[in-house]
Amino acid sequence: MASVKLTNIKKIYDNNVTAVHDFNLEIKDKEFVVFVGPSGCGKSTTLRMIAGLEDISDGTLEIDGEVVNDLQPKDRDIAMVFQNYALYPHMTVYNNIAFSLRLKKVPEDEIFTRVNNAAQILGITEYLSRKPRALSGGQRQRVAIGRAMVRNAKVFLMDEPLSNLDAKLRNQMRAEIILLRQKLDTTFVYVTHDQTEAMTLGDRIVIMKDGYIEQVGTPQEVFDTPVNLFVAGFIGSPQMNFLKAKLVQEGNGYSVEILGAKIPLNADQVAVLSRKNAKSQDIILGVRPEHTTVLFDKAENAIECTIDVNEMMGSELHLHLSSANDDKIIVRLPTVDLTQEQRSSLSYGNKMYITFPAKVMHLFDPETERSLIDG
Amino acid sequence: MSNIANTASSQPKMKKHMGLKASRTVGNTLIYILLITISIIWLIPFVFIVLQSFRVESTHQVGYVVPQVWGFKNYADLFNSNFVKWYVNTFVTALFTCILQTLIVLCMSYTLSRFRFKMRKPLMKIMLILGLFPGMLSMIILYRVLKDLGLTQANAVPGLILVYVASSGMGYYVSKGFFDTIPKSLDEAARIDGATRAQVLYKIILPLSKPIVIYTLLTAFMGPWGDYVFAAYVSNNTSAGMNVAVGLYNWLSQDQINKKYTMFCAGGVLVAVPVTVLFMCLQRYYVEGVTGGAVKG
Repeated sequence: MASVKLTNIKKIYDNNVTAVHDFNLEIKDKEFVVFVGPSGCGKSTTLRMIAGLEDISDGTLEIDGEVVNDLQPKDRDIAMVFQNYALYPHMTVYNNIAFSLRLKKVPEDEIFTRVNNAAQILGITEYLSRKPRALSGGQRQRVAIGRAMVRNAKVFLMDEPLSNLDAKLRNQMRAEIILLRQKLDTTFVYVTHDQTEAMTLGDRIVIMKDGYIEQVGTPQEVFDTPVNLFVAGFIGSPQMNFLKAKLVQEGNGYSVEILGAKIPLNADQVAVLSRKNAKSQDIILGVRPEHTTVLFDKAENAIECTIDVNEMMGSELHLHLSSANDDKIIVRLPTVDLTQEQRSSLSYGNKMYITFPAKVMHLFDPETERSLIDG
Repeated sequence: MSNIANTASSQPKMKKHMGLKASRTVGNTLIYILLITISIIWLIPFVFIVLQSFRVESTHQVGYVVPQVWGFKNYADLFNSNFVKWYVNTFVTALFTCILQTLIVLCMSYTLSRFRFKMRKPLMKIMLILGLFPGMLSMIILYRVLKDLGLTQANAVPGLILVYVASSGMGYYVSKGFFDTIPKSLDEAARIDGATRAQVLYKIILPLSKPIVIYTLLTAFMGPWGDYVFAAYVSNNTSAGMNVAVGLYNWLSQDQINKKYTMFCAGGVLVAVPVTVLFMCLQRYYVEGVTGGAVKG
């Protein structure tokens, strides 16, 4: 249970490659922070610097107010779960979990209690006498979590713990991590490349790219107000649609023009734009698939599209559309209210119309790729 | 109809199958004959020396193999000769070399496998190149150094241990290769669990590397156990500093061979005993795979 503070943290490798630039973040006590980003964005490197497995090239790392830059991993009082589990293959599950306690010379009867408690929480009591090779992937990951749990460490680090599991098990373990978090009630730093994991687990999400932090915020914040194109595209599945459009200033108001449709912006958006003194300009308009309304008939300010692909997902359809200026658009269409006639019209080459209200629109500058309204 | 057609079509197949089987049998027979011949040729000297060691009717070389009178006299005589001293010399040298060399090799291998430091790659290259030179090249200068330290002749044992152990770090190649196959995340997990680097080595890496530890122990024991050239040079004709190989070889000199030949054979058998026992006990570790289940697999 502790806070973690990273100030101007940098990682420069011997070959002069900079993996992490100037990383600043304060993780509060008992907070669950998720680092997310594509591979090579520096998220694992940052986690490993917190763990002490990588040297910090520059900056200071504090755990509970104490600078720990030069402390060995064993002296930082952290626990870590690895992607490939890293169980000791020559030890039984019991000994794997007890390893850290034995090193600390905890009395054997207390070790017994703590290991059994952890095993009970994780549901691995019956496997305690087995070797790791006799366990399935999910069981191994539980042992790895158990090994971290018994330590009662200040900070709990997890490096893509679910990446080696199959999709079904991953969903199950994700829910278990949420439960575990409630039970342990400690500080978590979690690394993943999967935005669903990030959204479901994190109190706050740190979105990284090429060694830089792109945005830090709660799942709701990064979803609703992405500060740039990268965050907008990375968070959300299917990803946000990006359309070429024009911002038009008319008197005191602003509107967005796209393929003949003209959508006036709402008062909040106008307020931000006029404060920034925005002029008429080309923009990239971002609209999430779930915020788009699909119309079967032509309507005012609706954009005409052609259907490319129709994916049946069960409760909804994912329609892949092309607009007249060749922007690719994905929309989600719930199947429950569709008539038979409407369903049969949703095939390749047919025309559809889409609309969206002003409040779901994200406006990005095509050059800086930054949001004109958010951030 | 279809039945008949089936039988007819399966006939040639059967024949072909039999042909394959027959040719495999012939092939196997030839291979076995060859292997048996090779092993007989290979075993002849061993059988010969064992049989000669039990010959008690005479002590000189004879023109036949099977003894006329059998007995243990040659072995009994060994215990009343310098052989005991040589045997102890050899055993002490081999034992100390074995322990020290194994320690150094394993530490060296672990360091080169896990740590990243500036001169790591050049150091490995230098050691590899140095290792290509025959050790004999350094013999004369080493002898001078040992002589100055007073570690020759009767004091040859510590001298030999020093020389054997000194260069052992260069034998890191095999075990480093093995350590490289153990996932680094095991080290990292252990370090986070609170282990020091040394604890990582002996609590995690070494138990996972049993086969390579035993391989290192065996080779470190075998080297000094069977060494002749350097041991002969350092002991320099002083019986008290000789090892078995040098001592026994002396029994084959012109003036001794007629009295000592059968004893020489008995000594040869005794030299082979510990090594044979060691191999028999430890060979199962050679095939034991231990890393299963460490990481996803």
